[in-house]
Amino acid sequence: MFAAAQSEVRLVAIADGASGGVTVWLWLAACLWAMPCLADQGTPYIPSGGDVVLQTVPSIADPRVRAFQALRAQQTARPRDMALAVRLSAAYLDYGRDTGDARYLGRSAAVIAPWMILHPVPIPVLLVHATILQSKHYFSAARADLIDILERQPNDAQALLTLATVAQVQGDFETTRQACRYLLSAGDPFSPLVCLSSLNSITGHAAASARVLRALWPRAYSQPLPIQSWMQGIMADTAKYLGDDAAADQHFQEALQLAPGDNFLLADYGDFLLDQHRPRAALELVKDYSQSDTSFLRQVYAEVALHSPRAQSDIEQMARRLAALDQRGSRTYRREEAGFALYVEHDPLRALKLAEENWTVQRAPEDMRVFLEAALAAHEPRAAQPVLDQLARSHFEYRAVVKLADRARHILVQSPSAARAAAAAAPGARAAATGRGR
Amino acid sequence: MSRRRGIAALFAALTLLPGIALAHKESDAYVTLRTDPRNPNELHGQWDIALRDLDFAIGLDSNHDGKITWGEVQAHRGAIERYALASLTIKGDGLTCPITPEGQMIDDHTDGAYDVIPFTARCDKEVPDRLTLSYHLFEGIDPYHRGIMTIHAHDHTSGAVLGPEDPTTTLDINRPNRWRQFRSFVFDGILHIWTGPDHLLFIVSLLLPAVLICRRRPVTPFDPGLWKPVEDFWPAVLELFKVISGFTVSHSVTLSLAVLGYVDLPSRLVESGIALSVILASFNNVFPIFKTRAWLVAFGFGFVHGVGFASGLAGLRLPPAAMAASLGGFNVGVEIGQESVVFPLIAMAFAIRSTRFYRVGVIRVGSWLIAAVAAIWLVQRAFGILIPGLGFLTPV
Repeated sequence: MFAAAQSEVRLVAIADGASGGVTVWLWLAACLWAMPCLADQGTPYIPSGGDVVLQTVPSIADPRVRAFQALRAQQTARPRDMALAVRLSAAYLDYGRDTGDARYLGRSAAVIAPWMILHPVPIPVLLVHATILQSKHYFSAARADLIDILERQPNDAQALLTLATVAQVQGDFETTRQACRYLLSAGDPFSPLVCLSSLNSITGHAAASARVLRALWPRAYSQPLPIQSWMQGIMADTAKYLGDDAAADQHFQEALQLAPGDNFLLADYGDFLLDQHRPRAALELVKDYSQSDTSFLRQVYAEVALHSPRAQSDIEQMARRLAALDQRGSRTYRREEAGFALYVEHDPLRALKLAEENWTVQRAPEDMRVFLEAALAAHEPRAAQPVLDQLARSHFEYRAVVKLADRARHILVQSPSAARAAAAAAPGARAAATGRGR
Repeated sequence: MSRRRGIAALFAALTLLPGIALAHKESDAYVTLRTDPRNPNELHGQWDIALRDLDFAIGLDSNHDGKITWGEVQAHRGAIERYALASLTIKGDGLTCPITPEGQMIDDHTDGAYDVIPFTARCDKEVPDRLTLSYHLFEGIDPYHRGIMTIHAHDHTSGAVLGPEDPTTTLDINRPNRWRQFRSFVFDGILHIWTGPDHLLFIVSLLLPAVLICRRRPVTPFDPGLWKPVEDFWPAVLELFKVISGFTVSHSVTLSLAVLGYVDLPSRLVESGIALSVILASFNNVFPIFKTRAWLVAFGFGFVHGVGFASGLAGLRLPPAAMAASLGGFNVGVEIGQESVVFPLIAMAFAIRSTRFYRVGVIRVGSWLIAAVAAIWLVQRAFGILIPGLGFLTPV
């Protein structure tokens, strides 16, 4: 009976440990009432046999793994050796950044922790620490560490380069330029020139930047593969900003050949392919990397665009992953969450809120874009004023962003009622353009 | 370029590699605790710890092939339990509740497989209202590890996120407010009556003749018989009081027995019995058998209705105090629900008791209609079918 059914929802929440359908109610009621809701928990089970493989872990077949395991053994024997600790910490950090396995950031931080309580913190320790923070998107905290180093050691090349990177992501182009220039006067011009080109490509000099990078490329051959790949990635982005899609595609492919499976490149190239209305190619690119949240998100976008039968279950899976991140209080993925809310869940207000939050942390081209699109879709172009201000300062040329900004400005100069109507007439900028929406 | 400078550039440039390269979340473990409705001294829990983290901390991949099998996890069960349980304490009121592991399972989370440790925390006394959890898993190994705590206590869920920088939390596990619980069950009882027309029709059928005295029984279906209006209002109220009390006493007994699990009848039988009781009660108005002892009918069939009410509390497993509050509240609600319908009805019936409309239209035609509806219920419930076109008659 109705009353019975209704009271059951509430009753079972009180009745503990009930089973079956009741458990579902219990769970639901708990979720409705209180956070944190267990987003990331299934039903425990006993595997069918002893030889069932449950989890793959870094294998000693990987030389990087052998290297840090050897260092770990040495470090256990000599726990007070700071140089050794820094080497182990850097090895974990590099492995974590190469593979995208965020757990290694924590392991890296744990190794140097005993030296982090010293006053002052030794520079090599602080440098690794700043890089860990940068990887965790704690840009302001990373900056504080770097400034501390540079006050003590103004010519520290690594601190200068890291500062340039962090400041660029934060939209502080003046600091980036200073750091790159300071580096240029300090020694070998290769890194500072790539550093400056990277900045110029988003501050109105993309064409010049592309020329410099092309000219520099032959010198990159003597550099290690990760650096070559990194440079190809910058060349790809620069070509993309210039609208030279064929060149961008080629640079992306070369970059990925130099660093197969690189998590950042997969996301960047995946976005590019989706923008090019090539969801099939995007899916092909990322489908073997579904363990990675950023790759999996691109897979979901591609599946939605292709109306794949898997789309629905993968959307749910993605939502669970984001919920698990939220549950631990992680804010690293606000950009991705905003995109997911906008392009997949079609919830522009939530997307805008996330994009605004994200903007307080990072201000790279993709952050501008999702912010503008969310603001337009939510009929709140005024909310994206910070992006418009940054564009006015930087003269960024990327058409995908410039077009959105123009539309937002256009709506803003009209009366509020006209703004609403105009925004309503042209919704879902990227969703419509890329087929990411429905 | 000098060699030294080359190395500097290399080291520097590596750091420049873009910073969003994180593929998935960092290390989390999940601790879920529940109070035990039967044993106030115990908490039942489940601790999910990622196999990757355990492998890094204590080494699970015995053959170093990069694959962790269930066999390897089982082989390390003792080591895992020693390692993990040493890093979690549950305290309250100066009392520590020691944790005993009770098995080993696996759960698949979004970022891989987790070892699951089901456990019980036993306190010397009742689990205290304010619980302090201290969590130190992977301290010294991963400062970014987080332990996500969730406590389901009574009707309340609370949680906290703990980690090496913030390893302790005190959670108020809010005992349920009995008065609030009682009130909410009163509300449920009222709703149960208002939305369950079968119970109401039964009572109404029994009470329709309360304002009349039967002088001669009808002999044919169309014979109105001889009814005489009662003189005073109070005898009618007394009759009503007897019927309601009889019904209340008996249905309370079976409701309690059914909810406590002592009586368990098939719902088809019970629901059909209720429909039958409505038919009989309404027929009694056309062919009175119990002229003055309607309360006995109410008392007798109340037992059946009581079992039916219990369906509204199906699956209720509560500690004794909560059970008393809920059952009591539900019963009170059922009474309020009945009275709220019956009192106005009897007042109205008293006012129009001498009219022909009441004696023929209400008592006879009304009773026939009630009997017809109840007959449909009986068929539907006894045979488990829905008669097409009559769905609107089905109590939800």
